Amino acid sequence: MLAVNCRVDGDAGAPSSARKDEWSECLGRIAQDQDRAAFTRLFRHFAPLMKAFALSGSKFSAIHADELVQEVMLKVWQKAGAFDPEKAAANTWIYTIARNCRTDMYRRLQKFDTAISAEDFDLEEESEEAFVVLHQHRNRHRVRELMQDLPPDQAQVVAKVYMEGKSHSEVASELDLPLGTVKSRVRLAIQKLQIQFER
Amino acid sequence: MSQMPRLHPDLDIMMEYSAGTLPLAQSACVFAHIENCAQCRQLVAELSDVGGALLAGLDPVPVGDSQLDAVLARLDEEPPLQYSAPARAPDSLPAVLQRLMRGDFSDLSWKSIGKSLRISYLSTGDTQHEFALYHIKAGGRVPEHDHCGSEMTLVLEGGFSDAEGSYHKGDFIFRRPGDVHSPTALQSEDCICVAVLDAPLKFMGWKFRWMNPFFKLRAS
Ligand SMILES: [Zn+2]
Repeated sequence: MLAVNCRVDGDAGAPSSARKDEWSECLGRIAQDQDRAAFTRLFRHFAPLMKAFALSGSKFSAIHADELVQEVMLKVWQKAGAFDPEKAAANTWIYTIARNCRTDMYRRLQKFDTAISAEDFDLEEESEEAFVVLHQHRNRHRVRELMQDLPPDQAQVVAKVYMEGKSHSEVASELDLPLGTVKSRVRLAIQKLQIQFER
Repeated sequence: MSQMPRLHPDLDIMMEYSAGTLPLAQSACVFAHIENCAQCRQLVAELSDVGGALLAGLDPVPVGDSQLDAVLARLDEEPPLQYSAPARAPDSLPAVLQRLMRGDFSDLSWKSIGKSLRISYLSTGDTQHEFALYHIKAGGRVPEHDHCGSEMTLVLEGGFSDAEGSYHKGDFIFRRPGDVHSPTALQSEDCICVAVLDAPLKFMGWKFRWMNPFFKLRAS
């Protein structure tokens, strides 16, 4: 009954660089029409990933993981209007919401008394022009493609930082490696992912 | 943007920042830097792609329909928000600081240490890290001190120098435990910095050693 056709139409004015993938289109429909069918589709795809994300750091119980899934998906619904496919991939945009909710929930559980939420540290996504000014081009999907070829030991430390939410020193003690080794694996991974890093 | 900062947080700090695992007070300091640093903003955007790609590659854990129904039932209470890009004057004081300060530099309560240094402690909610503003008079020197822990410094106004170099507006410096230094503000203007500590400072010189018992970590 809720057959959804997440296809962008009437969008002829959009620059061709806008990536017309399924999830970006669903987000667009939610923003424009409060389209529940599009939201349902998005939920069925992302909620199980969100739950895996919540459970991966073993910081949360199953109950908290479910709570996090709901919180993130509601935020996705509320904030869909802020999503701009020109500036970010849908995966990345949803990841930042999940990351913020997880950080806030963790702080809530730790009884932090703070007026600041993780969302306050969000930046406006840079426009393509801003990247051009820096003489660099960001392909929003490049990282994902290159990730497949990352050597396992490098992929492992990067995943522990991002998915399990661990600091470099926590990763080092967990894997019984010197901190320097963890840092150099991370640095190699960033090089392989072609992320510009000049310091 | 008037000038690009010259010194930026290292990759490990940027990565923990973008993964949301950096302690709150440190995150606030890094954020205050990148608000005025296009290069670091770009790095954060690219690092977030790493998180997005990893999320997309996780093994899904089944979520029951009851969860979906629960969320659908709440959608009406949570109508989509309308967004407009917030306008921010370039080169203004970082927004996160404006929030933490709840006013201007002059509205803060300052504690004077000798003639040329005064400190104001801000509350971030992070009980493991002290988040403070240091105001050093032009040409003034901070007594030589040891870092028992790590220290993040962000220059907000003016600049300072120590044995290792000189630092200017927007520069981000990270010192590890055991570094001893004695920063001196530039002669031309007063220097205001953010400093985030995870252990109290220890002053070295006999003239200032009496102050050490007063230096407890003021983390809140
Ligand atoms: Zn920077």
